[in-house]
Amino acid sequence: MLREFVALTRREYLKLARNPQAIFTSLLLPLLYLLLFGNGFTINAASFVNPEYGPFFTLQEALDFLFRGAPNYYSYFAGGMVGFVAVTASLFLGANVIFDKLFGIFKRTRGTPAPSAAVFGSRLIAGATQPILLSFFVLALALLFGHIPGLHGLDVTATVTPFGLVEVLLAIVLLSGLFATLFLTFGILLDVPQTYFAAVNLINLPVLLTSDALYPWGTMPTWLQNVSQYNPVSLAVNVLREVMFGSSAYPYSPGIYLLGLLGWTVGLVSIAIVLVRRALRPLE
Amino acid sequence: MEQRGRIVAENLVKVYNGQVRAVDGVSFEVNAGEVFGFLGPNGAGKTTTVSMLSAGLRPTSGRAVIDGLEVSQNPEEVKRRIGVIFQESTADGDLTGLENLEVAAGCYGISASEARSRARTLIEQMQLGDAADRYAKTYSGGMRRRLELAVGLVHRPRVIFLDEPTLGLDPQGRAGFWGFIQKLRKDIGMTVFVTTHYLDEADEMCDRIAIIDHGKIVATGSPNDLKDGLGGDVVTLKTHAGASEITTILQALPGVHAIQHSNDSYRAKVQSGETFVPLAVEAATRAGVGITGVTVKRPSLDEVFLEFTGREFREEEGPNATDRAVMMQRVRGQLQGRR
Ligand SMILES: Nc1ncnc2c1ncn2[C@@H]1O[C@H](COP(=O)(O)OP(=O)(O)O)[C@@H](O)[C@H]1O
Ligand SMILES: [Mg+2]
Repeated sequence: MLREFVALTRREYLKLARNPQAIFTSLLLPLLYLLLFGNGFTINAASFVNPEYGPFFTLQEALDFLFRGAPNYYSYFAGGMVGFVAVTASLFLGANVIFDKLFGIFKRTRGTPAPSAAVFGSRLIAGATQPILLSFFVLALALLFGHIPGLHGLDVTATVTPFGLVEVLLAIVLLSGLFATLFLTFGILLDVPQTYFAAVNLINLPVLLTSDALYPWGTMPTWLQNVSQYNPVSLAVNVLREVMFGSSAYPYSPGIYLLGLLGWTVGLVSIAIVLVRRALRPLE
Repeated sequence: MEQRGRIVAENLVKVYNGQVRAVDGVSFEVNAGEVFGFLGPNGAGKTTTVSMLSAGLRPTSGRAVIDGLEVSQNPEEVKRRIGVIFQESTADGDLTGLENLEVAAGCYGISASEARSRARTLIEQMQLGDAADRYAKTYSGGMRRRLELAVGLVHRPRVIFLDEPTLGLDPQGRAGFWGFIQKLRKDIGMTVFVTTHYLDEADEMCDRIAIIDHGKIVATGSPNDLKDGLGGDVVTLKTHAGASEITTILQALPGVHAIQHSNDSYRAKVQSGETFVPLAVEAATRAGVGITGVTVKRPSLDEVFLEFTGREFREEEGPNATDRAVMMQRVRGQLQGRR
């Protein structure tokens, strides 16, 4: 089991390393988002503050309401982008299976006695590295932009402890793992690129649009806020934002959101194991 | 009986989607160390049969036993003991030849160092040594087939299945590929199950063959036995239209076993073509039937196929056979309309 897993994982990393265009384009997209979208779309929280009549009496109050404590929209948005990237970069995991099926490569693997856990696990572990690294890349880039004059950037306002960093790491790993599992399972269950991408879009847009990754929290209608608080992307992004901007606008500590995210991941992985084992059992 | 390396198929049936009867009650036995050819036109059910034997597809009914193991009950163990070369290419183009082999070896639980040394040996054996570190996507068709063969052998199977391994190769490539197979059989004593729709290949390379058509085996035996079974030469006479009385005339001649006809051509199975032709031409001329052409053939597997199916093998070949048939119908319809 271990040797099969190691051999297949090595293959995934070799493929990844030999496709520099794919790595380059996957870096390009978040870069563009951070530069154009985040910089073009701004809301000035200070304009909502009026010490006498409201709606907000202090700037912190306005920031808590609009951006859940982030010092400006860009900083709020940068946290959301990390969640966004973790989801969209996971899409390749399933697409790679579909293309391996079209090229006959997957048939070879299935002709061997390699256990389905090794087939699934190798692709999950190797494949999830990309969204995880990309998430940190986005975070680093957003921080860097803050030091470039003329650009908006991510301003961290809370004191980040090592424990807080571990929480951020866990949030990114869990979120990437969750969507990597989801899309990989789609790739294994489906055979045709068209069906796969239709299924991915069916999931992707609703998940991202019902999360608080991109919308300013305070501008979301109440029903959307209610839906959003259970959305796994929101849960992960909450952890990031709470660690970076403080807890004043959050009812729960990051640990609670992480637990919620863990629940999602464990639930989905369990379903995936059942489905993938059935799909990959010998003699279909 | 010694079960090692044996393949037994008992009444295998595969019905796809409850309607396509792709394999319809196929039974045969392949002895250890034999090269067994599975010969049939496109769509005959060859790939489906291989999939059922190699633990890739569950039969609708019937059973397969390989190396003493019932396939449907021990699919994992069967996969360890057999090698499969699929009809389509399965090599990963982004990996080198060596890496393809190493990954495949790993999938059988072979340690990394052992995998590396086996990969090196196999790639040299297949004469791919110079291309060992090149990406497989740069390989030519023949090199790819050899790499596929190497991948199928990396775990040292007792039985190997080859599904149309020489499809699309030029005659030189085909001969080269068969060279490797024959050598393997001699060196290791492996059982080889090979499907093909090249008649000459089956004839030359296989110890025994089964001919499959429309999912059913129509004949089994060594190529020589099958050809000898036809009992002599085949003479084909072409006549002017509407000369059906010639059948009776030919039948009366000495040394004739049987006469078949389609349109205006008559196939006579005879003891000896050389003595039959002059007699036949003379008799036909005497009866006033014009002969427009004569061919004499030592029987080949083409004749064997024709004998057992009533059709020319070539007619069925190629994915365009149906298209051609449809087109011919249209042309005929137009010609008739003009008359
Ligand atoms: N997955 C499938 N679903 C439905 N029909 C199939 C499938 N695979 C093969 N067939 C049909 O089964 C028949 C036998 O196919 P196959 O075994 O591939 O033949 P061969 O390998 O001799 O060309 C053909 O009529 C083919 O169209
Ligand atoms: Mg086939």
